[in-house]
Parts: sequence; C-alpha cells; structure tokens
Amino acid sequence: MSAPTGGTHPEAKGLYPWLDRRYGITPLIEFLKHKEVPIGSHSMIWYYLGGITLFFFTIQLVSGVLLLAYYQAGESTSYESIRFITTKVPFGWLVRSMHCWSAHLMILSLVTHMLSTMVLKAYRPPRELTWITGFLLFAFALGFGFSGYLLPWNELAFFATAVGTDSMKAVPGIGEWLLQVMRGGTDVSINTLYRFFALHVVVLPLLTVGIVAFHLIFIQRQGMAAPMAHDKPGRGMKFFPDFALRDLLLWLVCLIALASLAVFLPYGPGIPGMEWELGKKANPLAPAYPGIKPEWYFLWVYQLLKEFPAHLFGMEGSQAAIALVSVLFAVWALVPWLDRDARSNRASPAFTDLAMAALVFLAYLTLKAWDIGGGEGPLPDVRAVARACAYWGLVVAAATVVFRFAMGSARFFDFTAAAALQIVLHGFLGVSYLAAGAIAVLLLAVSLGVRMLRSRNAARATVGGAPR
Amino acid sequence: MPPVGEKINRRSLLDVLLAIGVVGWLASVLFPVLRYLKPLGVQTQNGPIKLKGEELSKLEKDHSVIVRAGAARIVVFEDSTQQLRALSAKCTHEGCTVQYVPGESVIWCACHNGRFDLDGRVLAGPPPRTLEKYSCTRESDGSVVVQLGRGPEAA
Repeated sequence: MSAPTGGTHPEAKGLYPWLDRRYGITPLIEFLKHKEVPIGSHSMIWYYLGGITLFFFTIQLVSGVLLLAYYQAGESTSYESIRFITTKVPFGWLVRSMHCWSAHLMILSLVTHMLSTMVLKAYRPPRELTWITGFLLFAFALGFGFSGYLLPWNELAFFATAVGTDSMKAVPGIGEWLLQVMRGGTDVSINTLYRFFALHVVVLPLLTVGIVAFHLIFIQRQGMAAPMAHDKPGRGMKFFPDFALRDLLLWLVCLIALASLAVFLPYGPGIPGMEWELGKKANPLAPAYPGIKPEWYFLWVYQLLKEFPAHLFGMEGSQAAIALVSVLFAVWALVPWLDRDARSNRASPAFTDLAMAALVFLAYLTLKAWDIGGGEGPLPDVRAVARACAYWGLVVAAATVVFRFAMGSARFFDFTAAAALQIVLHGFLGVSYLAAGAIAVLLLAVSLGVRMLRSRNAARATVGGAPR
Repeated sequence: MPPVGEKINRRSLLDVLLAIGVVGWLASVLFPVLRYLKPLGVQTQNGPIKLKGEELSKLEKDHSVIVRAGAARIVVFEDSTQQLRALSAKCTHEGCTVQYVPGESVIWCACHNGRFDLDGRVLAGPPPRTLEKYSCTRESDGSVVVQLGRGPEAA
C-alpha cells in the first residue's frame, strides 16, 4: 500500500506539503472549496441552528472541565464545593453561570433546530439517519440536563431526581431493576450522585461526541438538505468562506449574548425551571417544598404526571403518563418513515401541522406547570390556571397559524385544531384534561379517516375514468 | 444456518459454533457488569424505632418530624387531638417526601399536589395507593416509639 501523496510536488518544502505528502489533504481542501449550501425560498437562519447547538456544546465541554477542577462529588463535599466555586474561586461564579446558561441555550437551539428540520422536511430520504442521530443527541441532551441537575446536591436536585428516577419503575419487566441501578439503591442517596456524576462527565460526553461525529459526517457526505420546492440544483452559497464566516460571526454573537446573560443574570432569569440558585443542601428527611419544579424542558412531563388520575386502563396513572410520553417520543423518532409524502418528495403539510400541534400541546402543559393565573399561595386554583393558560395556549396556536401563512404552508390544520380543541374544552368548558384530550383525538381520527377515504375515492375515480 | 433438510457441512457447523462462542463471550462480559451495577440489598429495619432528642423537640415544635428507618422515611405527627400518628413519608405517586399540614389536617405532597388523610388514604391528586401506616405511641417516660415490620395496619 502506498502512502497518500496529495497534490503537492514531492520536493516542495513547508508544513502543508509535508502534511499533504503523508495524509493527502489536498482532496479534502478541494472538497471544502466546492461545498455549497443550498439557498431556498425560506430563511437561511434555519441552517445555522445546528452549528449554534454545537457551539454551546463546546462551551459546555470547556466550562465543565473548569468546574471539575474544584467540584468534589460526595455527601459532605458536593454542595460545599459548588458553594466554594461560586463564592470563593475567582470567576467561579462566572464559570458555573456560563455552564448553566449555555446548557439552557443549547437545549433551546437544539429544539429549534429539530423543529425547523421537521417543518422543512429535511429528514426525508436519504437523510433518515441524520434525523435519528439528531434524535439521539436530543435524548443525550435531556440526559445531560437530568444528570447534571443532581450534582449540586441541593434540595431541588434531590426531589427532581427522586421524581425523575421514580418514573423508571413504569418500564415493563425491568423497571424495578433499572430504578435500583440508576439510584444505586432503593432511594435517592449520595450513591445516586456518584452514578449520575460518572454519567454526566464521562459516559454522556463520550457518547455525544461520537454521535455528533456521525451526525456531521452524514451531513458532509450528503450536503445540507435542499428545500422541497427547490430540490433541483439551484442557487447555492459557498460553504467556505461564505457560510463558514457567517457561522463564525454568529458564534461570536452567541458568545457575547451568553457572557452578558451569565454576568447580569448569574442565577438565571428567575423563571421556575430556569434558575439555579444553590438554595439549601439536600436533606432526605425534609419534605418536598411547595412550588418545586423541574427544568423547563421537563415541565410538560411534570404537568402530565399531575394531570393523570391515580389509575387509568388498569395501570397506575404515572405509568400511563410515562407510556404516553414514550409513544410520543417514538413517533417523533420515526417521522422520516411515517411521512410518506415527504419520502416521495411531495409537500407534506400534515407533518408541518403535526410539529405545530406538538408545539401547542407542549406550550399549554408548560404554561400550566408554571401555575400562571393561579394566584398566590402554595396551593394554586387549578381551574383558574387552566383558564388563564388556555388564553395563552390559543395565542401560541394562533402564532403558529400566522407563521405557517407567512411560510406559505397553510393547508392542513387537523392536528393544530385538535390541540386547540383540547385547550378550549379543558380551559374554558371545564372538561378534565384527559377527557378533553380523548375527545380531541377522537375527532382528529374521524377527520383523518374522512381525508383518507376521500383521497382513496379520488384515486379510484381517476383510475376508473382513465381510457383503456 | 442451513435450510431444513440440507446436510450440515463443516462451514455451517463452524458458523454455529462461532455464534455460540460470541453470545457466550458477550454474556460473560455483560453479566458481571450488570451484577456490579445492581446495588447491594439494604438492611431493612424491623424492630421499633425510638425518636432521638432533636427529633422529639422538632415534633414538639412543628407537630411533625420525618425520621429514617433503614432506607425508609417515616413522618411522625401529632394530629389536632394530640394523638400521635406515623405514616410512610414516601409519596406513592413518584416518591417525593410528603408533609403534614396541621392547618388542614392533611398529608400533602408538594411535588404533584397529592393529598392524603391522616390515615394515609388518598383524598385527591395522582397518588395511586395509600401510605403505609405504623403504630406510634408515647411511652410513660415521654419518649416516642414507632413500631415497624408489622405491615400496614387496617385503618
């Protein structure tokens, strides 16, 4: 086997020819020179979100390693070392604040990236595995958030982890085993923290870097997905330097935004689920305190757990809720195969609608979890919350409709209508959340069934009417 | 694997042996790892537990205190008739720690708004089961003792 020689003269001197003779990097440079990013009718902004997510992930790696210089996992050291970092270590508060802010911003850009991929149908063949690797990265990001949450060993962390790991018992068959393996015992203890620490700083980073590599290789091999309407090779922007420089500039903007937030709001914006005051040290013998809430991206699951009754269909309520969440995640992961219109490169407004309906569904639950309109006091008025949030939920639904008209993708509204109907039934008419959901799903099924029958009849009519 | 009816030749036999070898190798690697990760059994406390001094003074002050019994947590509280009661402090919904709300005479879980009566029965919210009840008595010398290991008492 001969060594790569690249494209440089064997006698040429300098670092580049030296590297090129050994590793053949000229073809790579050629590839980058000709790489283009497709330009469609939609905004270019959607193409930068993946890069922004990667940028925040890099910040996480750097700030995480810095935190490791002082953090000590242990019953009498976890909480104390975080307090030491934020109060004694020069700029320690800044490093922790950056780590927390960047975590939230990473989830935010990741979710936006995923939603835009959904709306632009960039998951359609041949990019199914890019979607799947992206979905895995989304799951890892949630795992990062969940495992990192416990590490300060404060009250909030303790109960959030107790609830989060408890939902593992819903897994059929191996639930109890999984629960104990996650907790390192029957209940959350410092043993749980040791396991989560290993997960957070070793297992998840390795897995994430590996999957990010695949995600990026897939994108490099196939290029970025062209917009549906402009699928034929059309205009393009040179990746290097045009797109790469824009990427870089945006990262700089992100860094400035991140640093400003970290400096001026070092403990978060103060919204429940988006704040990281250290608070009190975890005490397994203290009761859960009023107003305890998980991170904002878990709030919808938290609220679902509240909405489900004690028992449903022979299952415990929490088991049923977790089963529903699992089904929703599975559907989301399988979208590239479910969306048969996009597979055949036809417009598929139904899946744009599904994404928007998901947004409305999640928004309503999240708003309810915040107890908006519930008044003061530890026990908010549940009816008032449902009603006040219903207004805002409908505002979100209206905003998605306006967005879709602006995007020129306003043809299918069944899913969004179902989500809005649930909000109206529950928020304004007082139907229970689950009953309202069941009615909405039933009507949705009828409307989808009618659509299918109609399109089948139309297909039959064209076949029957065709001349022999 | 060869189709049914076809004679097994040397190659397919080797393939089967190889596959068995790989599966066996994987099992011998995975089993110790999984067994390693499964935590050791925790010792369960069965005898009666006596409240310590600081726990007693907390009970005196707040009308309730949460005490440890092996891996379990128990809420000991004094109801409005000065009767002592003891319930498992672990909410049957998602395992948060419950608390006694003296003003409303309920046991409340702050995590998902579950409510229990003072015998541990579910009043409202998502918890699926009653909280385990223990007998709790005040001895003649003023100490408080919770009886464990008798299982839930009929209310």
